[in-house]
Amino acid sequence: MLLQINSVTKCFGGLKALSEVNMVVNANETVGLIGPNGAGKSTLFNLITGVYSPDNGEIIFMDKNISCHKPHKITLSGIARTFQNIRLFANMTVLENVMVGRHCRTRSELMAAFLRTKGFRKEEKEIADSAREILGFVGLLKSGNMLAKNLPYGAQRRLEIARALATSPSLLLLDEPMAGMNSQECNELIDLVADLRSRNIAIVIIEHQMKVIMSISDRIVVLDYGEKIAEGRPEDVQKDPKVIEAYLGK
Amino acid sequence: MKQIIGIMILLLLIVLPFIGYNCGNYYAIHVAGLVGIYCILCVGLNITVGYTGLLDLGFMAFCAIGAYTAALLSIKGIPFWITLPISLFLGGFIRYLLGAPVLRLRGDYLAIVTLAFGEIVRLIANNFDWLTNGPRGLPRVGEKIMEIQLFSLVFKNDLQFYYLILFFLIGTIIISYRLEHSRIGRALVAIREDELAAGLSGINVPQIKSIAFVLSGMFGALAGAIYVHWIGFISPEMFTFWESVLLVSMLVIGGMGNIGGAILGVVLLVGIPEILRPVLGTKFVDYRMLIFGMIMIVVIIFRPEGMLKSKRRALELHAKE
Amino acid sequence: MFIEQLVNGLTLGSIYALFALGYTMVYGILLMINFAHSEIFMVGAYIGFLVLFSMPVFAPQFFLLYFLLCFVLSMLGAGLLAVIIEKIAYKPLRHACRLSPLISAIGVSIFLQNLIMIAVGAQSKTYPEKLPIMQFHLFGVQISSLQIFIFGLSILIMIILTIFISKTKMGKAMRAVAENHVVAQLMGINVNTIIALVFLIGGGLGGIAGVLNGLYYGSIKYNMGFLPGIKAFTAAVLGGIGNIKGAMAGGFILGIVETLAAGYISSENKDIIAFVILILVLLFKPAGIFGEEVTEKI
Ligand SMILES: Nc1ncnc2c1ncn2[C@@H]1O[C@H](COP(=O)(O)OP(=O)(O)O)[C@@H](O)[C@H]1O
Ligand SMILES: [Mg+2]
Repeated sequence: MLLQINSVTKCFGGLKALSEVNMVVNANETVGLIGPNGAGKSTLFNLITGVYSPDNGEIIFMDKNISCHKPHKITLSGIARTFQNIRLFANMTVLENVMVGRHCRTRSELMAAFLRTKGFRKEEKEIADSAREILGFVGLLKSGNMLAKNLPYGAQRRLEIARALATSPSLLLLDEPMAGMNSQECNELIDLVADLRSRNIAIVIIEHQMKVIMSISDRIVVLDYGEKIAEGRPEDVQKDPKVIEAYLGK
Repeated sequence: MKQIIGIMILLLLIVLPFIGYNCGNYYAIHVAGLVGIYCILCVGLNITVGYTGLLDLGFMAFCAIGAYTAALLSIKGIPFWITLPISLFLGGFIRYLLGAPVLRLRGDYLAIVTLAFGEIVRLIANNFDWLTNGPRGLPRVGEKIMEIQLFSLVFKNDLQFYYLILFFLIGTIIISYRLEHSRIGRALVAIREDELAAGLSGINVPQIKSIAFVLSGMFGALAGAIYVHWIGFISPEMFTFWESVLLVSMLVIGGMGNIGGAILGVVLLVGIPEILRPVLGTKFVDYRMLIFGMIMIVVIIFRPEGMLKSKRRALELHAKE
Repeated sequence: MFIEQLVNGLTLGSIYALFALGYTMVYGILLMINFAHSEIFMVGAYIGFLVLFSMPVFAPQFFLLYFLLCFVLSMLGAGLLAVIIEKIAYKPLRHACRLSPLISAIGVSIFLQNLIMIAVGAQSKTYPEKLPIMQFHLFGVQISSLQIFIFGLSILIMIILTIFISKTKMGKAMRAVAENHVVAQLMGINVNTIIALVFLIGGGLGGIAGVLNGLYYGSIKYNMGFLPGIKAFTAAVLGGIGNIKGAMAGGFILGIVETLAAGYISSENKDIIAFVILILVLLFKPAGIFGEEVTEKI
């Protein structure tokens, strides 16, 4: 078991965004997280990655309780994410965006940078090489020297994934990665997510298009009003009356 | 090509003042030295304001800390090469102490806190007579700032100081450039662009911010320590809020996040006005700030990246063997 | 002694409170620190100075009229100035990154200070003492009529402002815009008009505060806005920036604290104390003493 969420609760003022949610993610598994708008999906991601801390419950990642860790520590321990509203480093180049992702896996310090030591140069080369490799993987190598803000929308989403991959995660959280994409871009992204499996990365993906999520997930978790209302194999969840009700209303 | 241009500029910076000085252009050399001091300040401040995106409205405080430390030690007879590291350390250390609690504040609140800190330092320099001689400044009557001595060379005239300042400025630029193009430099820019995303990309935001903040402060102290040895006098009114604001306007107008922009800003806001001062008379000094204020508004509205736009360096896209 | 300090503190506090309202109203609606507000305060003081200065000595019977004129004109002038500043220097930056308007405001501040300095000179001017000042002795405490006047006028203005904001249609529209620009727009509110109105009112209050400051201290100068501006801003943060009643309370608290600190700790270092308070407030109570922390939505 890679990630284990034990009866996590989060409130914003009077609003209970998540209540007593349990969930597990196994190594190498792709989990679909679905639910109507405002169900608390993004909030769950924010809790896992340390943006907020849970009011109650605990989050265990690789046998460590990470509930109160700082975001950068959580990334360091192997969780990476993308955002529902794209958050790139807009005025940095595409390549630099990915290189920033390598920050937590490299260690050269100030003095080495000032003196341009051999170790520093070697590490810089490693950073650039692996960033290029990842850009090649997501198909953005050609745009490497463009500013991130000048990329087309679909490419920005992929760049976010590339930056997340650069942190060498064992768990990747994708928050509506296909939102606003056309069908061709969507298909490319589905292929990309499928490729990620070959990298031994577990994935939790939030997505609204049922067809997509059903086809790429091993397992589906359904949230509604901050509660988990169903969980299971895609074909079972699809038939669950509670899920149908949550989506179609009474 | 770029290297050749760099070397040419450097040669000019070395040779021209020498010729100028020997032709009697003393004032121009003095201005050049002043521009150099401001360049150290601005390139240093740029690490905080430009790279990291933290608005600092009290930077002169660290120049003051460096200058007062250097002056107080120098009066006691301690030579420059020993006071300098102490000034740098103290400047950096106080900046660290300030940064530890305040760097987590939102951008505009951080700006106000740095402003307040800058004023506190100036007021301390002004009010704590026993230490700083108050508004009358240092050195006190009968005291003297030591001369800088390098082996047998004693720095006395403006030309010698110009070369000393140029030397330190080049060091400042190299350090700043190398910082920018390093892992930590990228982290700084990432924090400027999106602090939250930077943290979630594995950057220890408070620590990296603190590095930038402290480094900046040390350059401030460096400029102060050299300046006081050069001019031989300091007083609190050299470190007012408006001086700090002037530094920020240089960055805004020249181009934030960009060493060339910082230097351009200094040349435009210090170099040209100082050169013109004897021509246009003292009345001009009054209009100067008026014009800067206006330019600042125009630039931030119509060209927020400043006159010299910071260019992200293009990197090789195919792995070299 | 203590009561006397308290009275002084309340007088100073009412000036800070009026001044702080401008900071807080603008922040509430645009989320920006209107750094140039201290210059609006200064310009207000100069307008008041001009009116009082031009008052003919031979007409003491019109003295009340002149006094009214002084306040009305400085309020209007300062308010209009604030509106113009907003149109020129802030409006184009409404969607820029968050520090841009602050930088622009600093530019405005530099510009105005130097403009006034060039126009009227760098020396301070003595404020015309046209108001007959009487000293009262209440319960053994000396109070001047000027103090009572400053306090009373400020309270009156604050009451009017509170009623305006809570009862009138425009006041409600202001609150709606502060809540959410887009929603307010959808409700049919002209956001630009409301923003201009906020600058007009905030600037006007700043102008009055400037006149009161001139009357109280007896002299004005081109850079007189800076220190009180910082203190008024502290007051606004103390009350929870964006919170109108908070700014009033913050102003009085700061005025009293400053006077007591000057009286009992050190008058020479009272400004240091004010700046330390500012830093402490921003560090430990950035949402103010009444406000609550809001988390950014991701
Ligand atoms: N920082 C916050 N402050 C207040 N309310 C929030 C915050 N973040 C999320 N919420 C609320 O929590 C609920 C769940 O939001 P979210 O997790 O974004 O839903 P979704 O499932 O659409 O991603 C929503 O009602 C949202 O308004
Ligand atoms: Mg969401």
